[in-house]
Amino acid sequence: MSTADAMTAADLLSLLQGTVVTVALSVSGIAIGVPAGLALALLLWRRVPLLRHIIPLYVSIIRATPLVTLGLLIYFALPAMGLQIGPVTAAVVTLAINTTAFNCEIWRAGLIDFPRDQIESAQAFGMSWPHIVWRIMLPQVVRTCLPALVNEMTLLLKGSPAIAVIGIVDVTRAAVRIGANTYEPLPPFLVATAIYAGIVFVFVRMQRWLEAFSLRDEAET
Amino acid sequence: MIREFSIVFQNADRLLAGLANTVLLAAFGLLLALVLGGLLSVLLMSESKSVALPARALVDAMRCIPFLLLAYLVYYALPSIGLNFDNWTSGLLAIVIYNAGYMAEILRGVWMQLPTETIDAATAFGFHGRRLFMRIILPQVVLTAIPMIGNQAIQVIKDTAFLMIIAVPELTHAASSIQSKYYVPFAAFICAVALYWAMCGVIEFAVHRVEKIADARR
Amino acid sequence: MNVESAIRSPAPALRIIGLTKSFADNVVLDGVSLTVNKGKTVCILGPSGSGKSTLLRCVNWLEQPDQGAVFLGATRLGFRNNGSAISMSARELARVRARIGMVFQHFNLWPHLTVLENLIEAPVHVLRKPPTEAVKLAEQLLDRVGLIEKRDAFPGRLSGGQKQRVGIARALAMEPEVLLFDEPTSALDPETVGEVIAVMRDLSAEGRTMLVVTHEMQFARETADEIVFLDRGRVVEASSPQSFFTEPRTERARQFLQRYSVR
Repeated sequence: MSTADAMTAADLLSLLQGTVVTVALSVSGIAIGVPAGLALALLLWRRVPLLRHIIPLYVSIIRATPLVTLGLLIYFALPAMGLQIGPVTAAVVTLAINTTAFNCEIWRAGLIDFPRDQIESAQAFGMSWPHIVWRIMLPQVVRTCLPALVNEMTLLLKGSPAIAVIGIVDVTRAAVRIGANTYEPLPPFLVATAIYAGIVFVFVRMQRWLEAFSLRDEAET
Repeated sequence: MIREFSIVFQNADRLLAGLANTVLLAAFGLLLALVLGGLLSVLLMSESKSVALPARALVDAMRCIPFLLLAYLVYYALPSIGLNFDNWTSGLLAIVIYNAGYMAEILRGVWMQLPTETIDAATAFGFHGRRLFMRIILPQVVLTAIPMIGNQAIQVIKDTAFLMIIAVPELTHAASSIQSKYYVPFAAFICAVALYWAMCGVIEFAVHRVEKIADARR
Repeated sequence: MNVESAIRSPAPALRIIGLTKSFADNVVLDGVSLTVNKGKTVCILGPSGSGKSTLLRCVNWLEQPDQGAVFLGATRLGFRNNGSAISMSARELARVRARIGMVFQHFNLWPHLTVLENLIEAPVHVLRKPPTEAVKLAEQLLDRVGLIEKRDAFPGRLSGGQKQRVGIARALAMEPEVLLFDEPTSALDPETVGEVIAVMRDLSAEGRTMLVVTHEMQFARETADEIVFLDRGRVVEASSPQSFFTEPRTERARQFLQRYSVR
C-alpha cells in the first residue's frame, strides 16, 4: 500500500503502541463498567433506599457529560482536592465512570423486562434472592442485554480519543503526531481509521460468537 | 470552594460564550446533518446498486470511526488535497458528515416502518406527489423520528466537546481556559458539567413534549 | 376453629384459617377457611374472580393476606414462633416454602436450564442435596411422568402438556408435604390436558396431599376427596364431590354447575 510506504517503521510502531494504549484503556474501562453498571442496576431494581434516588441522578448527569469534560474534571480537579492521580488512572476512571452510567441503563431495562413468572416459581421453591438473581435471572438477562452492551463498548472505544486531553497518546493522537511530523496527515489517519474499524469488527464478532454459544440448542420450536 | 465558584461566575461571560458556540455548532450541525441525511437516506433506498452501495459505505464508515478522528481528518488532512477550513468550520463539517450517516439510518428506519394504510388512504383520496409528501408523509416521519433525533442531538452536543482539542472555543474549551488561568479546576468543570446537563435536560423536555403530541395523534 | 386452638391440636397437613385479602378497594378473599388432611385431595372450584388463585398464592405466602393464618403442619407461615407479630425472615420463609410444592398455570419453568437441571436446581441449592442423589430422584420422576427421554432438552422445545408434566416432576423433586396446583391445565391445548390430568390422578391415588384449583370438573368429581366452592371470596360450600355435583346446597353452586355442566 503506497500510503503505508510514506510512513516509516518507527511511525508504524508508534501507531501500534497507540493501539495498545487505546485497547488497554478501553478494555479496562469496559471491565469495570459492565459489572459496575450491573451492580447499580441491581441496587435500583431492589429499591435500596437512598441509593434509588442517588443512582439515577448520577446516571443522568454522566450521560449528559462529554468524555472530554469528564476527563478534565477528574484529572485536574481531584489533585486540587488532595487526591493525587496519574494520567492513566484518570483515563481509566473517566472511561469507567462514563460507561458505568450507560451500562446501568442497559442492565436496568433487562432486569425490568425479566418475566415475573420465573421469579415467582423460584420463590415458591424456597430459593433465596442471591440464588434467584445469580442462577435464574442473570444467565438470561446477560443474553438479552448483550447486543446493547456490545454497542456501548464500541461507543466507549469511539469516545476513547478524549483521553488525549489528559496527555495520553492513544492511536488517534499518535496518528496526529505522525501527520504533524511528516506533513502528510492522510496516511496515518487512514491507518488509524482502519485500526478502529478493525477493533469494532472484533467486538461485533465476539458478540455474535457469544450469542451463538449461549443459545446453543435452546431455541423455541 | 466558594472562592473558586465566585471566580468562575466572574468569568461567566466566557463560559456563556463557549456555551453559545456549543449550541450554535450543535444546532447548525444537526440541521445540516438532517438535510444531508435525508438526501443520503434516499440514496440508501435507491434501487440502483451504484448509488446505494457508496451511500451504505459512507453510513457504515461513520459508525466505525471516532468523531475526533473525523474532525482531525477534516482539519489536518483535507488541506493536503487543497481544502482549507478553519477549526470552527472543520468542526461543523465533521459534525455534519458524521451525523448525516446516523440521520440517514434514522430516517430510513422510520420510512420503512411507516404504516402503508395511511398513505394508501391518502392516495385513494387523490393526494399525490409533493402534496402527498408534504402533508401526509413528512408529518408522520417527523413525529416518529423526533425522539431518535433528540437522542442524536444529545450525542452531538457531547461530541462538540472533542473540538476543544482543535482549539474551537466551545464550552469545555472555555471552562478549561478559565481553570488554567485561575487554577479553579473543580468549579470551572462542575459549571461546565451543569451546563451540559441543562442542555440535555432542555432537549429531553422538548422531545417529551413532541412525544405527547405524537401520542395524541396516534 | 380459631388460631389458638389450631396451634394446640394435632396438625393436619395444611390449615387455612380466616384468610382475608384486599387489593385496593377490592375484597378478593373474605374470611376463607379450609383444611387439607394428609393424603387427601381438595379441589377448589369457583367462577373467575372468586379469589381461587389468590387463595392458593397466600398458602405459600407469594401473596400476604391481610388477616388470617396458614399452617403447614405445625408451622405457621409468615410469622415467627407460630404467631408472634414478627414477620418471618426471608430465610425462614424460604425454608417453609421448600416444604410446599407448587405447579403453575403457565408452568414457569426456567428456560435456560434443561429439563433435568430444572428438576435438580432447587433440591441441590435449597435442600442442599448431593447432586448425584438429586439426579437419581429427578430421573425417577421424569420416568414416572413419561418424559425421561427429554431429560436434556430445553423447555422451549417442549409442548405445553410436556412442560406441565415437567413442572409437576419439578415440584415432586422437592419431596414436599403438600402439593399446590394453580389451574394446571388452563393454559393447555385440549389434547394435552389429558396427559397432565392422568399424572395428577396418579398422584392423588398414591396418597399425595394436594390442593388443586381447577376448572376440570370431571377430574374434581372423580379424584377429589373434598370440593370447596369459592364465590366472591367466600367459601360457599364445602362437601364431598358426590354431594356437591349431584345435590348442591346453595343457589350459587347450582348456577355455577349449570354453566359448567358435567355429565
